[in-house]
Amino acid sequence: MNLNNTLLVVIAASAIFYGTPLLFASVGELLAERSGVLNLGVEGMMLVGAVSAFWTVQHLHGPDWVVLSAAVLVAALAATATSLIHAVLAVSLRANQIVSGLALTIFAGAAGLSSYLGNIGHLGGHPALHEFKAVDVFGLGQTPILGPLVFHQNALVYASWVLVPLAMVYLYRTRPGLHVRAVGESPETADAMGVNVAAYRYVHTLIGGALAGVGGAYFSLAITPNWVDGMTSGAGWIAIALVIFAFWRPELALVGAYLFGAFSSLAFTLQTRQVHLPPEVFNSLPYLMTILVLVFVSTGWAKRRLGAPASLGVPYVREER
Amino acid sequence: MRIERRLTTPRWLRVVVPAASLLTAFVLAGVIELVTGHDPIATTSRLIDRGFFASGALSATLVTATPLLLTGLAAAAAFRMLTWNIGAEGQLVVGAVGASGAGIFLHDQPPALIIPAMMAAGCLAGAAWGAIPGLLRAYFNTNEIITSLMLNYVAGLLISYLIFDSHSYWRDLTTFTARVFPQGKYLVPAASWPAIGAGTVVIPFGFLVGVVAAAGLFVLYRYTRFGYEVRVIGDSRAAGRYAGMRINRKIVAVMALSGALAGLGGASQIGDFRHVLDPRGLQQAGYGYAGIVVAALAQLNPFAVILVAFLLGGLTNAGYSLQGPDFPAGLVGTLQGLILFCALAGELLVRYRVRFRRLTVAPA
Amino acid sequence: MAAGAAPAVTLRGIVKQFPGVVANDHVDFEALQGEIHALLGENGAGKSTLSNIMTGLYRPDEGEIRVHGAPVEFHAPRDALAAGIGMVHQHFRLAASFTVAENFALGAHAGGGFRLDLAAIERRVTELAQRYRMPVNPRARIWQLSVGERQRVEILKALYRGARILILDEPTSLLTPQEADNLFATLRLMSAEGRTVIFITHKLEEVMAVSDRVTILRRGRSLGTVLTTATTPRELARLMVGRDVVFTLKPEGHTVGQTVLLELREVYAESDLGTVALHGVDLQLHAGEILGIAGVAGNGQRELAEVITGMRPRVTGKVAVGGISLRGADPRQAIELGVAHVPEDRLGTGVAPSLTIADNLILKDYRQPPICTAGFIRYDRVRIRAADLIERFDIKAVSPQTPTRLLAGGNVQKVLLARELSGSPRVMVAASPTRGLDVAATESVRSLLLQAAAQGVGVLLISEDLDEILALADRIAVLYEGRVMGVVGRAQADVEDLGLMMAGSAR
Repeated sequence: MNLNNTLLVVIAASAIFYGTPLLFASVGELLAERSGVLNLGVEGMMLVGAVSAFWTVQHLHGPDWVVLSAAVLVAALAATATSLIHAVLAVSLRANQIVSGLALTIFAGAAGLSSYLGNIGHLGGHPALHEFKAVDVFGLGQTPILGPLVFHQNALVYASWVLVPLAMVYLYRTRPGLHVRAVGESPETADAMGVNVAAYRYVHTLIGGALAGVGGAYFSLAITPNWVDGMTSGAGWIAIALVIFAFWRPELALVGAYLFGAFSSLAFTLQTRQVHLPPEVFNSLPYLMTILVLVFVSTGWAKRRLGAPASLGVPYVREER
Repeated sequence: MRIERRLTTPRWLRVVVPAASLLTAFVLAGVIELVTGHDPIATTSRLIDRGFFASGALSATLVTATPLLLTGLAAAAAFRMLTWNIGAEGQLVVGAVGASGAGIFLHDQPPALIIPAMMAAGCLAGAAWGAIPGLLRAYFNTNEIITSLMLNYVAGLLISYLIFDSHSYWRDLTTFTARVFPQGKYLVPAASWPAIGAGTVVIPFGFLVGVVAAAGLFVLYRYTRFGYEVRVIGDSRAAGRYAGMRINRKIVAVMALSGALAGLGGASQIGDFRHVLDPRGLQQAGYGYAGIVVAALAQLNPFAVILVAFLLGGLTNAGYSLQGPDFPAGLVGTLQGLILFCALAGELLVRYRVRFRRLTVAPA
Repeated sequence: MAAGAAPAVTLRGIVKQFPGVVANDHVDFEALQGEIHALLGENGAGKSTLSNIMTGLYRPDEGEIRVHGAPVEFHAPRDALAAGIGMVHQHFRLAASFTVAENFALGAHAGGGFRLDLAAIERRVTELAQRYRMPVNPRARIWQLSVGERQRVEILKALYRGARILILDEPTSLLTPQEADNLFATLRLMSAEGRTVIFITHKLEEVMAVSDRVTILRRGRSLGTVLTTATTPRELARLMVGRDVVFTLKPEGHTVGQTVLLELREVYAESDLGTVALHGVDLQLHAGEILGIAGVAGNGQRELAEVITGMRPRVTGKVAVGGISLRGADPRQAIELGVAHVPEDRLGTGVAPSLTIADNLILKDYRQPPICTAGFIRYDRVRIRAADLIERFDIKAVSPQTPTRLLAGGNVQKVLLARELSGSPRVMVAASPTRGLDVAATESVRSLLLQAAAQGVGVLLISEDLDEILALADRIAVLYEGRVMGVVGRAQADVEDLGLMMAGSAR
């Protein structure tokens, strides 16, 4: 019997495959939220990333790896540009971050800018000229269990495996990482210590945008190498939930992304195995679990150990006489 | 640069700024259209024409405006007290479930019974769905933004389950085709909400209900004790506590009220337009989120919500009907987003005064 | 401390004004190297302003600052930090969920590069902690630490940044006696090292216990500097509060009744930080009496007001209004029992700032007829009530529909008083009612309080202004560190005695 065809392995492999865009987007949003900025526009930014990446592969000529790298870069830049709008509104203009983030989703999302760009570029209905295919690393792609999971994924998956430890080191072991955490926890303290609160919030919101863009690119270049309006189907919202579920920690975001990725592919996988459980049950688990986590995090015990950055969503104004 | 809070907001600013933001948004959209090779003047005029002036446009706009009106009121009702109900989307869906359930159950009753029952069922279902994040916020201090957002998805999955993956009460299992291609039970004609004709314009019953609801909300918040407490708590929670107000109960009540209005929107979707529980259609439209945009632009004033819902409805309707090879889809969303951005930026001007000042050096 | 030590910080001719008040009026101040120098004064004396100038938070309108003899100009707190001046604020600047070491690592002056070497910082923290005998666990999270420990962290943080001059603002306000003693030992160590310590206080025992010299500020002016060994608590108290008290208001002959309207028995309550704010308070307020609660702010006054008005739960003890025991943490019950409250925080708590005057005037009785019938608020009656109250209480406003936050401080207070007094209360808790008001407004407020007492209301007047209490109160209780130090009748009130009690010396 081929071990690699067992249900568990298949689910695990697809968990990783489907969870990767969630991972990119949630690590990005996590960094923004750590600085105290709530960006509900992730879905919109991902879609902008998806459409710009697709546009790039359709129009740029060259070897696979050049075009794909350029596409990811373009996606990141485009999404960063849209996140700049939210950054300006939220940080400098002290607008209501919820409304601003939602406006971003409406502006950039399905039936918004991403759709507009996709349609005028006539991007729909054509397969991608380049896509991220699974790479057989060191030829170990067929080894039992580890093969499909670790050695047979596409380049963006591997990139995400570099991203998570990088984010962890950044947050916990560097001075700027300490500063961003301080800005999110207690901007008054950070300000009093000479940390530029606004600059940190800007930078991290933009990084959040860039990573969301990469996550979106994954959809149009890896999952369905195609462009469809609204192709992320709510992944951006899941990523926002994921940040909370992961207690704002990159390592837990990895676990959560794969968990949520498993849920979303579980339904389909089970159906092919003739197991009949309503897919909605699995699909609703991420959201219900997030609610539970949030309730837990709001209780006193957890709040101080695991909670949200204290200044999340609150504009910072230095009180002056 | 210094930003100082304004003490008063001149009346004229309150009208000029939203109007100016609208204008700016159109201009910005025009720039985007220009850059991508479309004629902004022509596009804009086609939008406006299709939305309001072409034959049949007004009626079509009212159809799109009705759910926006109700979800806009839902958002306005909640945001007044700074409880951020992002869950109108899910509350609308749940309201639709409730209303269609009532409609199916009372299939042999006269309209005078079915229609109020549908409205009530929609309100109750929406209220219950909205009360959940309210309770979590009031008693566990859980952020209602995320909880209401999550419940949107759960509601969507619920309705999906009811129609696609179960043999539920809502599902039509009578014909062979219906068993293979899942769909909901169609409501009897008696359950169709009447539409009122006024000249060439057809006004959906739901829209009128919405106007009444707007008036009701206005009266509630302006003239009742409930509304007074909402206004105080929304302004200063500490003052609310000081005055002995029961803040927790208010939070739940306001969230439930907001949910009820959104649920009414869902009932209207069933009764006015769809006559069947249609999971895909209900969710694709994004009425809940658009309602938040409406409320924000209307500065939470119920009567302004009617106007803004109408305008935005016209825009959306025009976008749908113009969609085609020469009119790119996605322009409407882009425009809506831009309007909202400009409104947010304009809000800053209304609330704050921007002063430029150089640091002066004190004499030693 | 060696004789003839060089000056560490010199302030000459400092003037700082804010709208309506001169906080520092040509103040001269000098602290010598290696000395522990106390800055003594009541609230409003100008101590905080002076220290904020020394640490770069405020720019003086006039005057010069010299550090170690060299003239300096501070544009921002970091300039003062660079000059070696560190401050430990009353309200700590610490990120609660971070560890001690992480708090140390914050900021550009913390040293070190891109990489965060927490282990090295932790070692340094432990080193410093040992040197100054202030044990602190560098890995502990701030929220886990007691207030005293947090203060240690703040002090160590200033030392970590190389502060040669340390300013502490009311350092013992949140400490237990043991912790205060530990603090003094640390201060002596730092002084022996040649560092200069300036600490701001209103507590005489501290001044006598640990300072070398003391400067007294009163009403924005400096009354001079004395050697601690050359003075006595009594003299300091006299300097701090002593003045010719002018009775601008002769209270109308009102008689104090026999009925006890408000009683507190053995009340203990906690502050927001979890420390004990009220230490077994016993008080009785009679009908028609004005009971003044004197004391420097921060000694439990706010918590006292909040416990009586139901805004703060009490840990133990009994609060009774007209004999009926208060449930605690239920403002509505207190309101229904007839407790009126003019809070310290007028615009944020006492009044909903964006709402109109008329709306705010019904904040307490909007639930009852005639204002409210069948769930509807009768705005026609509200208008009549507002017009009536505006006239009766001489509230200067363009119209009753003006948003309340547009009113001048005095008028906001009149709105509050109009509302609270018109509800026929039995007890009125007035906290700092004339703070920040001009002379005319102050007079109106005071006469309103006297009128209320004349009508049989029991008035609890909590004020930092001793003048005010002396002018209005029938009896005076002094609150210090959550305890009632003593209660005296107005006839027996001796200003110096009161000053002593306010500064911690028991009678």
